[in-house]
Amino acid sequence: MKKITLAIFIALFTFASFAQPKAKKPTIMIVPSDVWCNQNGFMQEFNNQGTVVKVPDYKKAMQSDPTLIQVIAQINGMMAERGFPLKNLESALKTLEAEAADDNMRSSSTTGGGVSSSPTDKLKQVAKADIWMQITYNVNKKGPKSSIQFTLQGLDAYTDKQVATATGNGEPSSGSTPELMQEAVLAHLDNFNSTLMTYFEDMFVNGREVVCRIKVWDDWGENLETEEYGDDELGILIEGWMSELTVNEVFNLTTSTENQMFFEQVRIPMWVIDAKGKEKAYDVRALGKDLRKKLKTVGVEAKAENDGLGKVTLWIGHK
Amino acid sequence: MKTQIKSILMVVILLASFASTAQVVSKKKSKKDTHNFRYEIECIGEGKQGTYAIKVFSYSKKPTVAIEAAKRNAVHGIIFKGISGGGCINKPALARDPNLEQEKEEFFKSFFADGGKYSKFVVASTDGAIEAGDVTKISKKEFKVGVNVSVNVGLLRKDLEAAGIIKGLGSMF
Repeated sequence: MKKITLAIFIALFTFASFAQPKAKKPTIMIVPSDVWCNQNGFMQEFNNQGTVVKVPDYKKAMQSDPTLIQVIAQINGMMAERGFPLKNLESALKTLEAEAADDNMRSSSTTGGGVSSSPTDKLKQVAKADIWMQITYNVNKKGPKSSIQFTLQGLDAYTDKQVATATGNGEPSSGSTPELMQEAVLAHLDNFNSTLMTYFEDMFVNGREVVCRIKVWDDWGENLETEEYGDDELGILIEGWMSELTVNEVFNLTTSTENQMFFEQVRIPMWVIDAKGKEKAYDVRALGKDLRKKLKTVGVEAKAENDGLGKVTLWIGHK
Repeated sequence: MKTQIKSILMVVILLASFASTAQVVSKKKSKKDTHNFRYEIECIGEGKQGTYAIKVFSYSKKPTVAIEAAKRNAVHGIIFKGISGGGCINKPALARDPNLEQEKEEFFKSFFADGGKYSKFVVASTDGAIEAGDVTKISKKEFKVGVNVSVNVGLLRKDLEAAGIIKGLGSMF
C-alpha cells in the first residue's frame, strides 16, 4: 500500500514539475470610444499648460446612459460565453474609487502613519486593461424600426496596434438598442475573435510584443553615451542585452539619444527557464528586472516600473 | 416433384442472397454518399444563441440519403470550411489548423460515424422536407439535393474545445 501511495506521489510530483505554467493572461475591457463619448457629451476638459485637452469621462457615461451599460453587458456576456470573460469598466471604476477612499482613511494602528502614495501613483490610478475593446455605435431610426451601425476595435494598450476589429450594420428591427446590438455584434463576433486568436497565436510563436523605455535621471551626471562601463557606450551595451532577452533578437530601437532609448516591437518570450531549471511565465516586469540586473553587473543602478503586461520603463543612475 | 421443390428452393435462395447483397451494396453506397463530404453550404440566417440556419447541397445517388448527409456535411463545413455567402456575414471555420482533420483523424472518424456525436448539434429544419427547387438531377445516377438544417455552433464549439480538438480564446493562458 505504501509503495502504491509513494508511486502516486512521485507520478504527481513529476507531472507537476513538467507541466508548463500558464502564460500571463491579458485583460480586456470594453470602453465607449472617444468619438462616441464626444458625440454623446461625455467628455472632460482640462487645461494642460495652456492647451485645452478633452478626455472621455467614462464615469459620467456609465452613470448617465443606461443603454451603454446594457450594450457593454451584452458584449461582456458574449465574450464570457466564448470562454474569455472581460474586465468590466463600471466595476473597475468603482474599485478604484473604493481603493482611493480606503487609502485616504487608513492609518497604521502602531504609528498612525498614512498610506504612502506618490503623484505618479495617483496618475496611474485609472482603469487599466491590456487590450481595449472600443465600441462606437449609432442607432438609425426609420419609422417604427431601428437599425444599428457599430464598430468594435481591439487595441493593444501598449503598442497601440489594432489587434482585432469588427464593423457592420444590423438589420432594421423593432427591438431595443441592446437587442439590436447583440444581434449585430453576434454576427461579427466570430470574425473578431478569430483575429484576436491570431494575435494570441502569434504571441505564443513569436513572443509577446511589448515596449521598453530607458531614461536617465538628470542628477546622475552621466548618460547613455558614457563609455566607462565596457567596450562601448552604455546605450550600445543595453541594445546588446535587449538582443539576448528577446525572441529571435526581435526589437526595434526607434529613439536613441544620450538621455533616452525607446524600444518598440520588443518580442519577449512567454516562458523562461529559471535558475532552478523550472519553466516559469515571463512578462515585461521580468524584462525590466533582467535589464536592471545586467546594468548592475557594470555598476549602474536603475529603477524599473512596469505598466500592465506590455510596457516597462527604466530610469538609470539610481533608484 | 422432388426436383421441382429443389429448383424452387434454389431460386428462393438465389433471390434471397441477391436481395441481401443488393441491400449491402445499397447501404455501402449510401454510407459512401454520406461520408465523402462533397457538398456546398450557404448560410440562411443566424439565431440568437449561436445557432446557424444553413442550406446544404449534398450529392447523392438517392435523394433520401441526402438528409442525413446534409446534417453531417453541415457540421463538417462549420468545423473545417467556414461559411461564406448567403444571408449571413462570412464565418471562419472553427478549426484554425488546416491539417486538423488529418491530425485528429481518430476523433473525427467516430465523431462523424453513423449516429456519431455530430448529430447532437444539428437538426434538419421542417423535418428534412426538401423544397421543390432543391433537387437537381445532375447526371444519370446522381442528384444534388439541398436541405435546410440548423446547427448549434455555440454548443459545437464548446464541445470541441472541451475535447481539446480546437483551442478556445482563453484556453491558451
